[in-house]
Amino acid sequence: MSKQLLTKVGMVVLLFVVVPAVLMAFDRGYFYQIATIAAVFVLLAASLHLVTGVAGLLHLGHAAFYGIGAYVAALLGSELEIGFTLGLPAAGLAAAFVAFLVALPTMRLISIYFAVATLAIGQMLYLIFLNWVSVTKGPNGVLLFSGIDFFGFDIESEIGIYYVVTAIMALSVVVLYRLTNSYYGNALRSLREDDQCAAAMGINVTVLKMQAFVISAFFAGLAGALWAYTTGYISPNDFNFSQSILVLAMVVVGGLGSLPGAVIGALLLILLPEVLRDVGDTRNIFVGLVMFGAILFLPKGLFGEVSALRFARRILGSGWSGSADNREVGWE
Amino acid sequence: MTALLELDGLTRHFGGLTAVDEVTTHVGQGELVGLIGPNGAGKTTLFNLISGFTRPSSGAVRFKGEEITGLPPHQVAHRGMSRTFQNLRVFPNMTVFDNISVGALGALGVGAFQSVIGGRKRSHEISERSWEMLERVGLNEQANDLAANLSYGKRKYLEIARALAMEPDLLILDEPAAGMNHSETAELSQFITELNSEGLTIMLVEHDMSLVMGICERVVVLASGRKIADDTPVEVRQNQAVLDAYLGGDDE
Ligand SMILES: Nc1ncnc2c1ncn2[C@@H]1O[C@H](COP(=O)(O)OP(=O)(O)OP(=O)(O)O)[C@@H](O)[C@H]1O
Ligand SMILES: [Mg+2]
Repeated sequence: MSKQLLTKVGMVVLLFVVVPAVLMAFDRGYFYQIATIAAVFVLLAASLHLVTGVAGLLHLGHAAFYGIGAYVAALLGSELEIGFTLGLPAAGLAAAFVAFLVALPTMRLISIYFAVATLAIGQMLYLIFLNWVSVTKGPNGVLLFSGIDFFGFDIESEIGIYYVVTAIMALSVVVLYRLTNSYYGNALRSLREDDQCAAAMGINVTVLKMQAFVISAFFAGLAGALWAYTTGYISPNDFNFSQSILVLAMVVVGGLGSLPGAVIGALLLILLPEVLRDVGDTRNIFVGLVMFGAILFLPKGLFGEVSALRFARRILGSGWSGSADNREVGWE
Repeated sequence: MTALLELDGLTRHFGGLTAVDEVTTHVGQGELVGLIGPNGAGKTTLFNLISGFTRPSSGAVRFKGEEITGLPPHQVAHRGMSRTFQNLRVFPNMTVFDNISVGALGALGVGAFQSVIGGRKRSHEISERSWEMLERVGLNEQANDLAANLSYGKRKYLEIARALAMEPDLLILDEPAAGMNHSETAELSQFITELNSEGLTIMLVEHDMSLVMGICERVVVLASGRKIADDTPVEVRQNQAVLDAYLGGDDE
């Protein structure tokens, strides 16, 4: 078996055989819960990676789109009895649609102005979750009793839920991987590097930025639906500013522009506080110290962009090697 | 035969300053035209007007017979015009190969959807074209190095290769030899002449006369935004207005 196939098979085995086996061996609800939360945050970080890491737009309101997905899925499920099979895509599309609307006036803003605009959008949506009581139930939040119906199958067991959540997360990450590790990804990176120069190369800067923003919101919406269905209860505070910052921290600690970095960052910041649970309340100080240390000593991230792109080209076989010297460059 | 590029009374004001003042000229298919003038003469502004980066206050730009005045830069680029920048702009945190690929993908186009499924043919096209340009400027050994880590001279070639990867009909170069020493400049003029002899139309800004005088068939001279000469290098060299402009220039 080639190195590339082996790596891919290894990842699938880890996600769908090894982790489930460990979860079943311990068989504790708490462990299942951590595993699904980790999957949700991996998806959130991977989607923010596209817009902030690759396209270079500092997005401070990502959690709001995650919230839209969660509310759409939860309200469709609890009020209209529209289940998971339709609720999941609806959640993604609703988040993408709102992103599209707010992106229209926002995309011409640059750097810090863009960041502040997304911060304002995030706060606005949060206040809607909180105050539009007749629809969102306000601070009481929404209870969702229905389980996951997956194309007619009722998934009730904890391991079943793990498989559904992980499969959707993995599929989404594969799509984000393709968007990152392709010439489309190069176009997005050129915006981050110098958007005027990109325009001189024939790139429609505004349209491309909007695409990155909307695609990222779509996947955040999916993550929201997964969250609503796995916790069964959502409230506005799940989607406030500090959640946006938490996801941003995952992306930065892992390495801006690096998809494996975003995944590692998410796992670290979700699992570390759980591992340190016995330490008590001071554990947050430890988490803070780890983040601080990571930024001080590895400013490019735990798995920086340069290594991530090389990894994608060489180890995962996404590079083009059609040149005379068969070197992996560009994208397949 | 109609000219590839025609400028008609092109003017641009910045507040009270007229940076480009009623410039009318043309560039024919296959020509290598130089644009010179002292500091602040309006050369870069004229390039920005042509390539869509700055909107003219009045006047028109026609490219391949079509009016392109006021079009945004990416649309001008799609029509077959490609440029480099005076202050050297490469994508520093991308590899040399990926830098060049942006020129190719900008011209050929890439989509989000096709990058997920079924865009293999387009990717190969972009890869092959980029590799060809990479070899052409002799940067293949550094294909996977970050552009930021190249020497200044090589970054200059990288920027030109990226512009060439668009396979333009008109290439405009803003002071490509700035910051280069004599032998580097000689090598570059050799390269530019070679591109031109293959049929590429080139417009070249130079601050310094020597490079332009050596390789261009025709030279346009700007001073304080106005065109003061438009002639062969030999004639321009003897033109009194040009001599005055250069002698009167602040740092010549
Ligand atoms: N965006 C702008 N706003 C205001 N003034 C400008 C702007 N761009 C250029 N200018 C002014 O227009 C004049 C022409 O500038 P330009 O950069 O076109 O000159 P140049 O011939 O390229 O000079 P150099 O040889 O130094 O590159 C200068 O006086 C400059 O200060
Ligand atoms: Mg200039």
